[in-house]
Amino acid sequence: MSDRVITSGREGLRDASIPQAPSPPLISAAALNQTYVSQDRSVVAALADISLDIAPGEFVTIVGPSGCGKTTLLRIMAGLLRPTSGTLRLLGRPVTGPSRNVGVVFQDPVLLPWRTVLDNVMLPVQVLRLDRRSYHSRALDLLGLVGLAGFESKYPHELSGGMRQRVSLARALVHDPALLLMDEPFGALDAMTREAMNLELQRIWQESGKTVAFITHSIAEAVFLGDRVVVMSPRPGRVADVVTVSLGRPRDLDLMASDVFGVYARKIRQRLGPRGLLE
Amino acid sequence: MIRRAVGRHPHALLIPLVFVVFVATWEGTVRVWRIADYLLPAPSDIARALGAGLSSRLYLEHAWVTVIEALLGFLIAAVTGVVLGTLIAQFRLVERTLYPYVVALQTLPKIAVAPLLVVWLGFGLSSKIVIAALVAFFPVLVNVIVGLKTVDAPKLDLMRSFSATRWQTFRFVTFPNALPFVFAGLDIAIVFSVLGAIVGEFVGSQRGLGNLILQFNTALDIAGMFAVLLLLAALGVALHLIMQAIQRYVIFWAQPNHVIGA
Repeated sequence: MSDRVITSGREGLRDASIPQAPSPPLISAAALNQTYVSQDRSVVAALADISLDIAPGEFVTIVGPSGCGKTTLLRIMAGLLRPTSGTLRLLGRPVTGPSRNVGVVFQDPVLLPWRTVLDNVMLPVQVLRLDRRSYHSRALDLLGLVGLAGFESKYPHELSGGMRQRVSLARALVHDPALLLMDEPFGALDAMTREAMNLELQRIWQESGKTVAFITHSIAEAVFLGDRVVVMSPRPGRVADVVTVSLGRPRDLDLMASDVFGVYARKIRQRLGPRGLLE
Repeated sequence: MIRRAVGRHPHALLIPLVFVVFVATWEGTVRVWRIADYLLPAPSDIARALGAGLSSRLYLEHAWVTVIEALLGFLIAAVTGVVLGTLIAQFRLVERTLYPYVVALQTLPKIAVAPLLVVWLGFGLSSKIVIAALVAFFPVLVNVIVGLKTVDAPKLDLMRSFSATRWQTFRFVTFPNALPFVFAGLDIAIVFSVLGAIVGEFVGSQRGLGNLILQFNTALDIAGMFAVLLLLAALGVALHLIMQAIQRYVIFWAQPNHVIGA
């Protein structure tokens, strides 16, 4: 794919066998706590003592059962929610609100139905008041990267669920953020489409060199995509374990049937609790 | 071919059938029982009255007056409804200050104000335009407010994630998102504006279809009254269809729904 999409001077392709140079973390969470007051006025802890560093270019997956606070954690990292206590630093600076160095892919594609595919991808450019003309070609390149060349002037209702989420991914990348946050983006897709999207995402990540934090409740997805898998326990959400996945890249779908893959999956399932807790 | 089409859409045949049976029964009843035409004219008499009125241009001159009153009233209602609704939905202080008055005005039967407006503004067009605007205003206002307040949270989160300003969020998301509601309100408003114009003409007027109904009423020309009612129904349907065509063009991404009456 075009070099213009590869950005920020960081390495594009990488190999997991080469240890990453010790560099300051791109995003660093220290002792994050999130509590809220429920309707019966009792204080409920959603997240407890979350500490997590993500290195530049790293793909970290966060797996946990429903209601473990994964989405809360992502909203904090996106600057959409202030943690009750703890500190969060992005590129060394404390996070006080949404940053243009972050792109978010939500659970639903959240496309604007009155805008074409291209105009949806250009939305961040308009809102951030970036130069429209120069980002126009970047948006087209990104649509090519996510496999939607030729769909620029379609409207969201003309696309399938998987295609809409691809548009959402292109939109999250268009303003060239350093960090890509993804909140169970493929959860609503059927199993086949989901696997195809995982492969695509791995390729896009390798070509773009972005740092990715990816939330999922699928253990297989977490192992397949992640350099590291953060395992969260429920109520309040804590980091139960961080599993480093030493599998080469690019990974293909056959890998999911292999013994090594099974070993990782089993290990994560055990960490999730006595019965594996996931649905 | 025809049989299969009818089998799939039986109502395509039943709708005209109901009409024919209804009109034939009406005609038959009037003729068999010799019902006086000042009580219930036969459909054929109504058709004759309509034909005569249309060919003499009498109906069209009056209809034109009513259309102008209704459309101008509708335009005033649409503009003020959208502007005021936007201010109420977007600014908490405006909402808190104005909402009690809005509710009070809404519970008031607007038609009851018509005689007063005729006293103030006279028998001409302006009193009818104001009454039409008053009646058509609330469906627009209510739908604008509801539409602007029903943005789904993920879209707002998306805009927040780009640190969008309030104006950007309004322009890119909240306003276009409200358009299906706005058009539902406008669709009701255009029909209501005809109602307002007719009521205004009843109260005091020199021309218009409402005035014509009163003239026929005095003359016991019941067939003429029915003919004007048919004309009013046709006018209402035409305005509704025009609104729907505009709506389909402007909000191509949504189907008409979310109607909130007033």
